[in-house]
Amino acid sequence: MSILDVPILDVRGLIAGYEPGLSIVKGASIHADEKEIVVILGPNGAGKSSFIKAIAGLVPITGGEVLLDGKDITYGAAHLRVRQGLAFVPQTENIFPLMTVEENLRVAGGVLPRAEVQSRIDEAYTMFPDLARQRKLAAGSLSGGQRQMLAVGRALIVHPRVLMLDEPSAGLSPKFVEMVFTRLNEIRRAGLTIVLVEQNARAALAIGDRAYVLVEGREAHEGRAATLWDDPVVAELYLGQRRHA
Amino acid sequence: MNLQFIVDGLISGSLIGLGAIGITLTYSILRFSNFAHGDFMAWGAYGTLSVIAAIGALVGTTAPIGALSFGWPLIAATLIGMILTACLALLLDWLLFARLRDKGQSIIVVMASFGASMALRSLLEFIFTSSPTYFSRGIQMAIPIGLGIRITPDQMVMLATTVILVTAMHLFMSRSQTGREMRAYSQNPALARVVGIDTARVVRATWIIGAALACAAGVMVGILVQIRPLMGLDLLLPMFAAAILGGIGSVPGAVLGGLIIGLSEAAAVQLIGAEWRAAIAFAILMAVLLVRPMGLFGRAER
Ligand SMILES: Nc1ncnc2c1ncn2[C@@H]1O[C@H](COP(=O)(O)OP(=O)(O)O)[C@@H](O)[C@H]1O
Ligand SMILES: [Mg+2]
Repeated sequence: MSILDVPILDVRGLIAGYEPGLSIVKGASIHADEKEIVVILGPNGAGKSSFIKAIAGLVPITGGEVLLDGKDITYGAAHLRVRQGLAFVPQTENIFPLMTVEENLRVAGGVLPRAEVQSRIDEAYTMFPDLARQRKLAAGSLSGGQRQMLAVGRALIVHPRVLMLDEPSAGLSPKFVEMVFTRLNEIRRAGLTIVLVEQNARAALAIGDRAYVLVEGREAHEGRAATLWDDPVVAELYLGQRRHA
Repeated sequence: MNLQFIVDGLISGSLIGLGAIGITLTYSILRFSNFAHGDFMAWGAYGTLSVIAAIGALVGTTAPIGALSFGWPLIAATLIGMILTACLALLLDWLLFARLRDKGQSIIVVMASFGASMALRSLLEFIFTSSPTYFSRGIQMAIPIGLGIRITPDQMVMLATTVILVTAMHLFMSRSQTGREMRAYSQNPALARVVGIDTARVVRATWIIGAALACAAGVMVGILVQIRPLMGLDLLLPMFAAAILGGIGSVPGAVLGGLIIGLSEAAAVQLIGAEWRAAIAFAILMAVLLVRPMGLFGRAER
């Protein structure tokens, strides 16, 4: 928590949708404190992706508020949110396939002082050594796991304060899933706040501090990640049939 | 066989290629075929002509540079003309294209560019009449350079200028941050916003570059041939053919496409007859696209 006890990311009653008059996100609220990992779970089609995309400025918002460190960014342009410290890694199509790995990282450094860009790129290479080896390759030739690392590395280039990810483990082999979650935990320890949308509830709750369950465009439940697993309400809402799978 | 067609083809191919750069960028970044692009060439040429007149009124007559047909006022005026043409493109975008683009239907933007093209052309005819005019009325001596090929000093300078402009453009697109942002935006506009790219700035850069190069090409056509309100329209189809041939989105591709079209047109004129000029360019375009549908430098993954 910051001195004034303002959550770093505070989303209140967000209403958003792709077409006028058709809300997909129907008054969802979440908040995230400094260095927290907040997990958003929910059934398919609940609107998790739409919600997180709306927070990132990619889906038109028609109501509610998005506050970043107390500052209202509800109707700000998407690229300005990044500059204000709110980074986002989309689930799919999250790299520029025809650009090299290095160009993918460099293109995100447009707002940084020129002298700093290379050292930020080197930070990404330190975190993901695979990327350093493939810096000259077209990003489109990377494997699914490597693409995910590139997308995360690129989101971190600007040193955001909050990192939001949409199902970073989707479609990855178990080895990469573990790697992604280990890295996310390290990133949080380095001082970032993470908002994580996940289908892989078990792995996400293992590193998460708090979790929300989103159902039909609204948060239906909130709790400690460690105990959410056993909460009967949650079991009924969402996890029930899979809990023992 | 007379090899003169090589010089003629390289010259017209360079001009087509310079124009095609703007078309390929507009298509890959703003996602529509801008049929008003040829009219940017004509407006650039007339704008430059007007600036030369203004300079002439201020400083009197000036001598041409060396063996060239023009002096420093033309060079200065071209630079100003490029800025004016860029402003014209930005104005059109603000008035017309941006509003329609937001509605999301590409075909409507294309039709609007048809309308803009006609309006721009009529306006030129109204202001300057439809009869041709010239930057200079002097006749240049062509210099023999062997193998029966002759080239005028103006033509040499135009070829060199094209090489410089195209190299600069290629470096800009591949090395500069704005160039990277333009490529990123053309691949995935939503992701471009996610990585913090100011997409309005990318759109502006695209118009400025395309229009400035169109002006440069228009001035070159004016120097080597003549200035007419229809000059851009005549080059429009070869420019589109060059952009498609080279692969949409590729700057080197557009220039190479322009050279191929220019050379084959010139060869066709000499070998089969002038009436085949347009047909040959399109036969080559079709043949290449049958083998490589994405164009010479285009990439399948788009
Ligand atoms: N680009 C889009 N345009 C219109 N509707 C969309 C779009 N993306 C998702 N939706 C709709 O929004 C609803 C929620 O989808 P989504 O946010 O992807 O849910 P989740 O990520 O929880 O699976 C679905 O009904 C889906 O059809
Ligand atoms: Mg989703």
